[in-house]
Amino acid sequence: MRHLADIPRWCDDVTDSASPTRFARRSLLRAAVLGRRDESDFSLIITDNSDADGADRSLKYTVTGRILDVSPHILVLHTGRGEQRFPIAASAEAWRGGPVSPAALRQGDRAIVRRRHPGGPVLDRIWAEIGRVTGTIIERDGPASLLVDEGPAKGRRIVLIGPEATGRIQVRFPRLEPGYLIDVIGLKHDGYLQALIPATSQPPYRAGHPPAAPMVSGHVPDPVSGTAVWHEPGEEPVNLLGLAYPALDPETSCEHAASMPPVCPGDQNTVEEWAVDPHATGSGCVRLPYLSVGSLIRLRNDCAEQTRVVPVTSCGATARLFCDRCVTCGTSRKGRIADLTMAAFVELGGALEVGCFNATMMIGG
Amino acid sequence: MLTAIREVQIPLLAAMLLGACLAKAWRALRPHAHPARSDPAGLFLAHLRRPIMILVFAVELGLGLGLFGTAVKFGRSWPALPATVVRTGTALFFLVAVRVLNEMRQRRPDSGCGCFGELSGTPIGLRTIARPGLLCASAVATLGLPPLRMPSSPTEAELWLAVLAFELALIAFLSPELGEIMVRLGYSEPCELRRMPVGRTMSALHASSPWRRYAGQVSAGMPSDVWREGCWRFVVYPGYARGRPVDIVFAVYLQSRRPAVRAAVLDADTDEVLGPTGTRESAVL
Repeated sequence: MRHLADIPRWCDDVTDSASPTRFARRSLLRAAVLGRRDESDFSLIITDNSDADGADRSLKYTVTGRILDVSPHILVLHTGRGEQRFPIAASAEAWRGGPVSPAALRQGDRAIVRRRHPGGPVLDRIWAEIGRVTGTIIERDGPASLLVDEGPAKGRRIVLIGPEATGRIQVRFPRLEPGYLIDVIGLKHDGYLQALIPATSQPPYRAGHPPAAPMVSGHVPDPVSGTAVWHEPGEEPVNLLGLAYPALDPETSCEHAASMPPVCPGDQNTVEEWAVDPHATGSGCVRLPYLSVGSLIRLRNDCAEQTRVVPVTSCGATARLFCDRCVTCGTSRKGRIADLTMAAFVELGGALEVGCFNATMMIGG
Repeated sequence: MLTAIREVQIPLLAAMLLGACLAKAWRALRPHAHPARSDPAGLFLAHLRRPIMILVFAVELGLGLGLFGTAVKFGRSWPALPATVVRTGTALFFLVAVRVLNEMRQRRPDSGCGCFGELSGTPIGLRTIARPGLLCASAVATLGLPPLRMPSSPTEAELWLAVLAFELALIAFLSPELGEIMVRLGYSEPCELRRMPVGRTMSALHASSPWRRYAGQVSAGMPSDVWREGCWRFVVYPGYARGRPVDIVFAVYLQSRRPAVRAAVLDADTDEVLGPTGTRESAVL
């Protein structure tokens, strides 16, 4: 009983669909053994996230679905609960590659919308076919086509930069070359992202060389301030309320599961030369306490002044590579502290096309 | 006096070269060491970096040992030619280092020199470049020097020590690593950031009194879940208590010696914290 022959047995496989129940109970078990039970029913939050319908219930402001019909005043979405009709506020803003009128949205578009009031029917923000690619450029084909590595957990994406966006993106990302970081927002197409907006400014260092965080004496400060960003769902449910945490426990989490493709000695022209394993680059420029999938974080959008308890649902190690600041409202502290799901980002009052908000995080709710 | 100054250079150069070797080896051997965040190999293509780092390590090791090996007489013979070769090689090595560091400073201003492994992460400045310049001059000063001998008088020994102390102080002034060493000596990483193998947590748990109290209720050989939050690692075992399935949860504080261990028992079906055995038990071992 006392010998550990199979430690990886406990590894948090973030893509394991059988695991949500195990992760969901963690906050309950932790509260039982440490005796710290918040007034919020945290276990409910996570349990609700474990299936698509439950995730819908945990969202107060956000709805995701596919557009079935749209008029200037009504949006019909196919959601996890079936067909739903939403009145559109007169002042509502819509985005599809840029600001458009709601009527300009198209049938079949994947949309994420925000209600004006929690649980209310009226919509005031609509994003259609919005996507984001964040990672290391590993190949460039011509002036406008990039292959981007988003880290071992997320894989690789193709980014195309159209002539209309080239100037805007190159102002913030002057080095569109292999080995440098990129973070762009745009329109999702089958197999690629059409980059339209730079989500941050390009760090001056190469992807594998983020600056080290200052040493911390005593305990890690709580709360921690920094930047919160969002990522596309990937294999997660599109309406998942959660976040990818940059500092999962390396002993039981994705650091073990992640493996970079092997580099063949002498094969200098392959893209692997430029791929960066974010787990091997240190803690990044903000030191965060180690947590696990299922840990609860109370996250505050300092710009919208909204707070939610959000569970850690996946590994966000790629966020460690970015030592940037968010300037949505004032200038945030350096470093990304949370990589939210799209639904969580919208739920907290973030604007997806802006890409980030200044955030404050408390561990454990 | 001039001879004393020249004689001090040989052990000093050898110590610097071997110290750099040790620091590089320490970084390479550490299982979770950060990759070359800062070293001259970063100037080269990725596939060349490792061979170049090995080459630098081998050259430093060879020169360091060579300086020691050719410094004194063995019996009646003294290898004059090898001594000259090693000392000339040392001078050339540091001359090349000056050139490389200057190049790095211009091309990668955010990088450290990597001269002493992880300790050399401070961006390269003029002081960092001046250090190999000084060592190059030291190596040139040793050319043509006869075999080293013990000081013939206390006065000569004092002169030796004075020269050594002055030069060490000068090198310390030119070394950004010294500040890093001082910080690390007085630094203890917070428990939230400290890596702790699961095996050590389990060993601490199995040696604790909460474990002994609840071990009889545990029904499986392996835990059903293990995870970490900040300074605590949680271990859950399935078990039976009062005839019903329970989850026995242990929380182990992540410190190396005498960690606190707490336990709780929950009904596996209802998540109810069970009566007297389910109340939180705490023990600092």
